[in-house]
Amino acid sequence: MATTVAHAQAVPPGLHPLQAAALRAAQQQQQQQKQKQQQQQPPHHDVDNQPFDPTSRKLTVHDFVRVRTLGTGTFARVCLVRPSHGTLEDRNKVYALKILRKTEVIRLKQLDHVQHERQILADVRGHPFITNFITSFADHDFLYMLLDYVPGGELFTYLRKLRRFDEDTTRFYAAEIVLVLEHLHEQQGGVAYRDMKPENLLLDADGHIKLVDFGFAKRLGNRESGHPVETYTLCGTPEYLAPEVIQNKGHTTAVDWWALGVLIYEFLTGYPPFWHQNPIEIYKQIIEKPVVFPQTPALSEPAKDIIRQLCTVDRSRRLGNVSGGAARVKAHPFFDGVDWDAVYHKRQRGPIIPPIRHPGDASCFDIYPEEDARRDEYTDDMKAKYDEYFKDF
Amino acid sequence: MSNPGFTSPFGAHSNPFGSARLDTSSAMQRVAEEDENDTVTSPTTPNFGQSAQTGGSTFRGPFGGEDGGSESHPPSVRSPVNSEGYPAKYNFARRTSVSAESLKPVGDSLDNWSPPVHPKTPEQLERLQTAIGGNFLFSHLDDEQSSQVLGALVEKPIPTKGIKVITQGDAGDFFYVVEKGSFDVYVNPSGSLQPGPDGMGQNVGRIEAGGSFGELALMYNAPRAATVISAEPNCTLWALDRVTFRRILMESTFARRRMYEGFLEEVPLLSSLTPYERSKIADALESQKFPAGHTIIREGDPGYEFYLLEAGEAVAYRSGNDTPVKHYRKGDFFGELALLNDAPRAASVVSQTEVKVARLGKNAFQRLLGPVEGIMRRTQYVGVQPEPGAPEPMET
Repeated sequence: MATTVAHAQAVPPGLHPLQAAALRAAQQQQQQQKQKQQQQQPPHHDVDNQPFDPTSRKLTVHDFVRVRTLGTGTFARVCLVRPSHGTLEDRNKVYALKILRKTEVIRLKQLDHVQHERQILADVRGHPFITNFITSFADHDFLYMLLDYVPGGELFTYLRKLRRFDEDTTRFYAAEIVLVLEHLHEQQGGVAYRDMKPENLLLDADGHIKLVDFGFAKRLGNRESGHPVETYTLCGTPEYLAPEVIQNKGHTTAVDWWALGVLIYEFLTGYPPFWHQNPIEIYKQIIEKPVVFPQTPALSEPAKDIIRQLCTVDRSRRLGNVSGGAARVKAHPFFDGVDWDAVYHKRQRGPIIPPIRHPGDASCFDIYPEEDARRDEYTDDMKAKYDEYFKDF
Repeated sequence: MSNPGFTSPFGAHSNPFGSARLDTSSAMQRVAEEDENDTVTSPTTPNFGQSAQTGGSTFRGPFGGEDGGSESHPPSVRSPVNSEGYPAKYNFARRTSVSAESLKPVGDSLDNWSPPVHPKTPEQLERLQTAIGGNFLFSHLDDEQSSQVLGALVEKPIPTKGIKVITQGDAGDFFYVVEKGSFDVYVNPSGSLQPGPDGMGQNVGRIEAGGSFGELALMYNAPRAATVISAEPNCTLWALDRVTFRRILMESTFARRRMYEGFLEEVPLLSSLTPYERSKIADALESQKFPAGHTIIREGDPGYEFYLLEAGEAVAYRSGNDTPVKHYRKGDFFGELALLNDAPRAASVVSQTEVKVARLGKNAFQRLLGPVEGIMRRTQYVGVQPEPGAPEPMET
């Protein structure tokens, strides 16, 4: 098996045994997947030589062949797709296509959120640690967002497999996330992300982070606009919600710094600081309980300190929200020795190199059902009432 | 070795919202079962003992970028399970995002909204206050929010025994307080009510008068985690829906923050703050109530806090003079020089009526925006620039 590891893409010669094992497992899955695909999809024959340019005109879903689902959310599905036409080279390209069912967006009252998502993704295009948005389009029943494919899969999968990360690994990912938050909050002028968690962090081929799913991202007021800086809609993931969100006090970009504290804790221990089978109990803990650290693994003092400072209920004391903003987070002893310029320019490879053998390899993603559970009809009445909200797509 | 495969063993356990979190014991079991199949850490690896004991420090990824090296790590993806290093019952599944319907404060638009009011007797109000007072969703509300929430609870008679008030697995929009009678709680392990005589599952408890249920529905629309059914005839409930609850909190918070920002705009010392900065400060203001006749700040005491008068009236006195030197009304402020220095208070401020003040500590201000001196230097601030130790001027 070891020989198959030596693939061109990015696998170092001294491959970590854990990675090798993950790779073997991935290959097995990949093979099964391949067989399945061959059964499902007859080879595509109509070759035309018009180059495929996703930005030159409005696309339709017929411009793509669906390879498989990479993830599902409450009202969206992300699929690995290939262009259905173009040159041979074009048709070997892969993309991630996020598909949202209009009826579900309406049923779950996410009309505002999908508009924000599309707009903000377009605004932040090009950041090294954010999934790259290419274009969007819509048809009668669905909204589509075309994104670069990030082949390494969710950091969540690696975290659960490896159980927990050591401090160097944690620092590597946390540093990249700090740069994302700095960009969103400060350079982008007050964009709150609002759904930080390992499930929303993908790894690229070199093991760097790509933040995905901007479904809850929102542009708040900022230094220049005169708009209020706070917003009120409860959204996020239970274990990662900041106290002010739970208590409906109006929240700001400070919620992302709280969530970063939860994330660092979960990276280092393997589970979040507040958890319970019953979500209500999670919320009580978040509001009432200080973060406590396990005896094992023993966390370093700087690690504990940055978690405590980020997970601070009082927003006038929360690191990242206090005067100095992200710069203060970067200056925390937990990040001692980090060359922030090198982080931004990805001068070092990631601590985990995903076992990817070709650009369209999807073996790092879990398997999901290919059919939607709900397929309500998007009626003419709904179209008349709601299509206005989808006009940006 | 039977390979566990790359698919997360917990992936299948992923569940919508929180309801299926009840079923977590099986997640832990799966870990245990699967780990029996894993290759165990080789005893020749240097950190074998440590790994086995702690449940594994698993992967030493080099931040410095040198290759991982293969000498010192267990050859399995998963380290042996040890209950010590891990919380029992933790659900390792992928977590689903939750969201309430988006709400915008009417202060932002031209709509007009006022919370519904369903009249109640003083006794009913007192019972309700007791019933919800300890609940974390209500305990932080101020008096106004609290009375609006209590007013919005609507009476819901449940005339007969056996009426399902909430059904496990259904969408939840209401929170309930039991005024009269009792209700049984059933949980079906499948996560939702099933057809047939035992479809409700197991009886897990009873809720009597003064009890409440369904609070998660006040946060977002999650499937109900249990079925609740009336256990006797002639029961009465109070119901509150999520949108009303969240709107009450949002509107009052929104209005109060805008009020604070408006007040702050009038403080000369802070005149160079941007709207964004005023908003940050409004975030940190703490509301406090005092009865009439209370000395809010005392002449000669060191000053650490600045006050805005939200409601009521107060007066300032200087020692040796019974005539007030200044009168404060809603929107006025005092003690602002505490933000600049720790000089003793130049006067006492005493409430004349019941008052509500918003308080800001010097430290909180500095944590959020840095030293006030820096803020003042931004513009030609020509207000009071006291000599060190000079008495605090009363005219601003």
